[in-house]
Amino acid sequence: MSVEELRGISQKALKSALKENVDQAQVAAFLFDSARTRFANSQIHQNVVSKKGGVAIKVAIGKRIGFMRADVLEAEQIENAVGQAIKIARVNPEDKYFKSFPEPERWQSLQDAFDDDTANCSPDYRAERVKEAIEVSHSESPLVKAVAGSILSSSYSLAVTNSLGMSAWTKMSLASMNVTVISEKTGSEGFGYAEQSSRHIKDIDPVKLAAQASEKSVKSINPAKISLGEYEVVLSPIAASSFFVFLSLIGFSAAPYQRGESFVKYHLNEQVFDEKLSVKDDAGDPRTVFKLAVDGEGVTKKRVPLIDKGVVSEESICHDTSTASREDRQSTGHALPHGLIRMTRPIPFPINVIVHHGTASVDEMIEETGHGIFVTRFHYTNPVVPTKAVLTGLTRDGTFLIKNGELTKPIKNMRYTDTMLSALKRISMMGKELEAIRLGTVTVPAMKLEKLRFTGATEY
Amino acid sequence: MHELKYQPVVKKVFYKPYGVINLSYDLGKKAINEALKLGASYADVRIGEIFDENLTVRRGVPEEVSLLYSRGMGIRVIVRGAWGFAGSIDLKSEGIAETAQKAVSVALASSKLKKKNIKLAAIAKSRKDEYSTPMKKDPFEVPLEDKVDVLLSAERTLAEQSPLIKSSSTFFRAFRENKLFMSNEGTEITQQITFCGGGLLCVAVRNSEVQRRSYPCSFRGNYSTAGYEFFESLALVEHAKETGLEAVRLLDAVKCPSGKTDLIITGEQLELQIHESCGHPTELDRALGMEADYAGTSFLTPDKLGKLVYGSENVNMVADATAPGGLGTFGYDDEGIPAKQVFLVKEGLFMGYQTSRETAGDLGLGKSSGGMRADSPLAIPLVRMTNINLLPGDWKREEIIEDTRHGFLMDTNRSWSIDDKRLNFQFGAEIGWEIKNGSKERMVKNPTYTGMTPQFWSSCDAISKDDWKMWGTPNCGKGVPAQVMYVGHGCGTARFGKTRIGVLQ
Ligand SMILES: [Zn+2]
Repeated sequence: MSVEELRGISQKALKSALKENVDQAQVAAFLFDSARTRFANSQIHQNVVSKKGGVAIKVAIGKRIGFMRADVLEAEQIENAVGQAIKIARVNPEDKYFKSFPEPERWQSLQDAFDDDTANCSPDYRAERVKEAIEVSHSESPLVKAVAGSILSSSYSLAVTNSLGMSAWTKMSLASMNVTVISEKTGSEGFGYAEQSSRHIKDIDPVKLAAQASEKSVKSINPAKISLGEYEVVLSPIAASSFFVFLSLIGFSAAPYQRGESFVKYHLNEQVFDEKLSVKDDAGDPRTVFKLAVDGEGVTKKRVPLIDKGVVSEESICHDTSTASREDRQSTGHALPHGLIRMTRPIPFPINVIVHHGTASVDEMIEETGHGIFVTRFHYTNPVVPTKAVLTGLTRDGTFLIKNGELTKPIKNMRYTDTMLSALKRISMMGKELEAIRLGTVTVPAMKLEKLRFTGATEY
Repeated sequence: MHELKYQPVVKKVFYKPYGVINLSYDLGKKAINEALKLGASYADVRIGEIFDENLTVRRGVPEEVSLLYSRGMGIRVIVRGAWGFAGSIDLKSEGIAETAQKAVSVALASSKLKKKNIKLAAIAKSRKDEYSTPMKKDPFEVPLEDKVDVLLSAERTLAEQSPLIKSSSTFFRAFRENKLFMSNEGTEITQQITFCGGGLLCVAVRNSEVQRRSYPCSFRGNYSTAGYEFFESLALVEHAKETGLEAVRLLDAVKCPSGKTDLIITGEQLELQIHESCGHPTELDRALGMEADYAGTSFLTPDKLGKLVYGSENVNMVADATAPGGLGTFGYDDEGIPAKQVFLVKEGLFMGYQTSRETAGDLGLGKSSGGMRADSPLAIPLVRMTNINLLPGDWKREEIIEDTRHGFLMDTNRSWSIDDKRLNFQFGAEIGWEIKNGSKERMVKNPTYTGMTPQFWSSCDAISKDDWKMWGTPNCGKGVPAQVMYVGHGCGTARFGKTRIGVLQ
């Protein structure tokens, strides 16, 4: 199904809603075709394709809103869904903050967003890439015990129409691969990890990913226990990405901000982070992977300065139309694209995060470290006290001690519990190269922090 | 030890809200035949639809009143000893053939990279059955206005308690899944699973001090496979006052001190402790390395089965898909295996896994524990928790408090994190109290505790029976692509000796 057909579906549903005497209506139609080949224990164990699509219908009768999302694309079912949204609006109490669905804007389709090779990738092509990753990993060392990971090829299309004259559409392709390597020597395991995301499946390089992950895995066998406390840390881009995802969740989304639980609210216009830290959300930046021109409401995605030279402000907050109306602001184009990103509760959220790069290489960061820890990846990060930006999480898949400028030995995984208002306040070095992490929603360099507080350790 | 046994309830009533599809045996047969024709040695098909109603009232307005509907099918095949799966929203006859072909072609690609052929644990017999969640009042039949009214009124009461309450929200959710499972082995199961529930959340702010309090537990409340009568029993309006006042009182509470102490944990927090430290590590797919790339593996490796001391003798844990009202209660899992109760930990010893037919076969266990579920017909089933329950002990909750000379009590989860083998955990609760000479004394804010799974459960010296109940966790994430599953935990209050609390400085 083409994006043109989706436009047809949304226009038809809009027409049928408007026949029913509603004041405003909005219809988003989407289609997500995806294929994921997953492997573990050095063989493919889950291999799935899915075709998912549907409509999200919103109607307004005065200030009464009705919303229904139906994951169906058949005409009769869509008619039913329109009827249901109207039924909800008729009985729903007024939302006194509601002003209007978004006005149409000028928008531009983004260059190079869609790659047919990615959209039409065959199961055999994915299996071949998996085979390379497994073979390269095992060839790196006889200590390599198991290779795991997955490779994704997918395409996503979205068309949004509303009764104010909006008609916007966008489509993109998305490919991604991650490789985890487990090694073992005399009962002690080592772990390594690497990932890559791109709109182009042909860019995905399993050989490089496998080499990186297996090197780390073998090096991390027999980890030593070190004492808890504050350490200098060198974070790989993957590790650093966790901080920015969670700062977005607890800080930059309008949802926690309006609940009074965002740290941003209590530090407006303050220099809370290092001045080397500038982070924006910008779908138009050529370096971001997620190339969608408009959001789930058809609003053009705006560039939002999440952190400007260490300063956060009201301009850091990402809105959709509904949260914007509660503060007399305009949507920043951060309604999630329907059916693409899975969140237990959908909230306005940045998916084109770009952290401004610095000038250092990872080797230089390690050379400049007297006594510190190199972190490949964090596991199970979660906020502890969101208003103070306190996060916790564990290191994973390759954690090493740095002494006098050199990686000396692997260490057992450690738990940090620290406020980002301190950890990101003193960034001693920023990496010069950006990597697109987490399906490309966060594009971030490596970085070296003066200190991160480690509060616990595990046994491996 | 108190074992809990129930009769499974089978009630053949199917409610028909908006858009109900025909759970068609003909469509299912067509899919299976198509897959067999293309060379599958095993094929199963799931056809289903999901209704998910979510209501949120905040600051006096309905912030979210939404209905989500999804439907589709999934075909899972074994071809040349390897798995393939295809899911689609397309339920038309031609679409089904196309989906079956995709599943087979994907399996063929898998078969090029297999080490051995998939072998499923046998089933006792093929079954034809129906199951439906027992309920008194269908939550989808209750007028929307009535539900919103309850939320508006509870929210008003919450907000009224103090000008320091800056945000107050009330939640309702009703969920229904109608589904058909068929396999080429002759199993045919139709099920209707319904759950509902709700809760309160309020945030109190003074200067930059922010505290939150939820009722009856976090994650938008408590949920049960039951009808609207469960939501009514939560009595949100009646509990709004106390919830609001506690949030405000927390602003004046002292910081949770740091140290090692006796720790009493109530069910509202203990359920997540059970979830993270027993539920996930006893999933056999994790223990066999199948989730190594994402959620991780497990410290409970197969060589430890029947040998490892997981906890003290007081600790008995089961995976129980038959527990009445449990959020993980059903008639059959998504491989057509009937709901059952299996021991994971018995008198402190690690005794069992949650399994699928494939993983049970891998380990030579003979049969599946019936733990396979998918969050949509378009997704593959994975080993998922059903209800992971800590069986009641001999204590009353008040007796545990009275018996504690000095310690802390923590209530309602606020933050959670655990390592990828499920050993080192750290939790935060919404509220805590210091216990002195057997009574609850001063309130503490931002309470946290941390530990290592087996050491922690080995320090468990008291488990209550009088406040034992089912808690529902509707947001358990697993798998790639990510799936979100609804699971349950039955527990009461328990005490743990010498636990490290107060991680924050
Ligand atoms: Zn979980």
